[in-house]
Amino acid sequence: MGIAARVERFVAMGTRIELHVFGAGSEDAMVAARRAIEGVDDALTIHRPSPTTVLNDELLAGHGVVIDDPVLIDALVAIDEAHVLTLGLFDPAADRRFAGAGWGDLVFDRSTARIAATRPLALDFGGFGKGFALDRACAALRDAGVVCACLSAGESSIAVIGEHPLGGGWPFAIPDPSRTDAVLVEVELVDEALSISTTVGAGTQAPERAAMIRPTDGGIVTAARCTVAIDRSGGIAEAMSTALLVADAPRARRLLDAAPARRFLYDLSKAAARTDDTARMQAA
Amino acid sequence: MTDKDFDLSRRSFIDRVLTATAGAGMATAAPWAVSAASAAAGAEPVKSNPVRLGVIGTGDRGRALIQNIAKSRNCTVVAICDSYAPNLVKAQQWAPTARRFADHRAMLDPRGIDAVVIATPLDTHAKICFDAFDAGLHVWCEKAMARTIADCGAMITRAKAAGKILQIGHQRMFHPTYLNALKRARAGEIGTLTQIRASWHRNNAWRRAVPADANDRQINWRLYRDRSAGLMTELATHQLQVGNWFLDAVPTRVIGSGSICFWKDGREVYDHVALIYEYSGGRKLIYTSLLNNARYGCEEQIQGSKGTIEPELGRIYQEVPAKVLALQRMHKDVARGHKRTVPIGGATWFPELPVTTPGESLGWGEYDETMLQFEGFGEAVRAGKALPGLLRQAYQASVASLLGEQAMDRNQAMTWPTNLVAI
Repeated sequence: MGIAARVERFVAMGTRIELHVFGAGSEDAMVAARRAIEGVDDALTIHRPSPTTVLNDELLAGHGVVIDDPVLIDALVAIDEAHVLTLGLFDPAADRRFAGAGWGDLVFDRSTARIAATRPLALDFGGFGKGFALDRACAALRDAGVVCACLSAGESSIAVIGEHPLGGGWPFAIPDPSRTDAVLVEVELVDEALSISTTVGAGTQAPERAAMIRPTDGGIVTAARCTVAIDRSGGIAEAMSTALLVADAPRARRLLDAAPARRFLYDLSKAAARTDDTARMQAA
Repeated sequence: MTDKDFDLSRRSFIDRVLTATAGAGMATAAPWAVSAASAAAGAEPVKSNPVRLGVIGTGDRGRALIQNIAKSRNCTVVAICDSYAPNLVKAQQWAPTARRFADHRAMLDPRGIDAVVIATPLDTHAKICFDAFDAGLHVWCEKAMARTIADCGAMITRAKAAGKILQIGHQRMFHPTYLNALKRARAGEIGTLTQIRASWHRNNAWRRAVPADANDRQINWRLYRDRSAGLMTELATHQLQVGNWFLDAVPTRVIGSGSICFWKDGREVYDHVALIYEYSGGRKLIYTSLLNNARYGCEEQIQGSKGTIEPELGRIYQEVPAKVLALQRMHKDVARGHKRTVPIGGATWFPELPVTTPGESLGWGEYDETMLQFEGFGEAVRAGKALPGLLRQAYQASVASLLGEQAMDRNQAMTWPTNLVAI
């Protein structure tokens, strides 16, 4: 007898979402997971009115504000941790309009959910939201009894629950964004999330895509790079792959060495190099 | 088709209408259909004491109506009328025992008929309608109601004063696919409706051959301004009704552009129209009709935040992007017990090309919605009570079509009239 499988596909977080559930799980598991992702989208989007745009208006006006949206509060708590874990390289407050502004200019009191900025700035959860949304969807699925699932947000953010339906880890191959016939690395995931970031390839051609900002100096990252980060948390994986993309050599080395089989950085400027050249992998 | 086959087909059709109108809120969204279908479901198996109809205008449309009336359980055609004799002769095969008239005034005798069916050129609707009410008869009239907004209102006022039924032909209001579409839209399946993109595109001159014994104004009346508003009253009216119905409102104003762009053959009415009807809350109905390209045909694309309905195609589409092929392959692998590496990590962004997913069927078929219109009309005549809500929809659709014509003619935005007749 085959393994029961269910799929839910929809658009959220500005991309296509797929939820693949195998085996056990209540009937409403998919609905709960979808609602979780849509809830994150509604809370964190800056492309239509949301709790985040309200917050940004206040921060830009120099006002402190007490946040009452629980999803936004959870996101800010997670970002606070991600900012530390990434050596300050993941920074949703970095903005070319306000050179030098960053997460360090914010005062966030978790106990009261009050946030204020010492200078005008605005938050953009673009490098974090999809992973965070997958975390919440995974939680909803687990609550509904799901023990085996694979979730995708635009293919650049993946989360899995449990082992592959046929046992063992979920095997993924990360293609080289600059060469369609080449693979950068193969990884296996169990109860983990994966995030891929790159400055090269089709995804970077999106007309509305914002430039990748280096928080250390506010410059635009132009180096041809692709990064991969795996973590128990989708939000952290997302923040880490973004951080690796903007990291200078010493910081990149520190981040890579902290989890050598779970963080990867590829310099794609050497177009002629073989993609299975291990010397090129993790070169930073 | 045998009588038994027809009974089964009729039963199936009515069941579909009843199913489509059974949802929450449908009693207020489509009360006319609920009423007509409920009555039809309980109709006697054979015609007894049918409502006697006189059909005025037996051209193509009139003859089609006669055939549909023949299928109904409570109406029968006892008289036919047309000022053009060949039309009468053609209609005879469908109503062989009906008395024939060349002038509708001679036919309007309440001792012989209970109601008239008007399928004449648009500019004659109001006058014939008034004559019928004056003669004590009920009226079923083809859409659009009349050539002017004032006459549309006058038809309602005269019906009220005479205490007679006035029903306008809008078959989509009885169509199971449309009713099902409305039910699913009201249930929130396509999210918040913000726009309807409607079109009726044909690739022909819309001109009929004129026989030797007739003149062009008589045969091609749709092409003359004093007789018709052309595409607006003859085609757009249907779709504007659908727009108002699904958006549950009337437009606040309309802007538009019309031209005789391709068929420069002496016609007076536009062969290209493009209009935007604005509704409260920033919602819009974007309408185009033209006569030299049929690629997009007749359709209303009802667009919501979570999906789209195309009732003419009978499809509902969710806002679901294309599948990730690698994950699709993984699914198949798991089903056959095979584990393979999943290549992933493609673009988050995907090009915004038109989505070509097949969607889901809303049900479609060659239904007898026109027959049901007449069964509803028959019941209304018998009860002396109009099908609820129908006339308001028809009136607003006719006004919308004529207001659109004014917007194009005057090249200015026209606001929704505030002096319409209350229904």
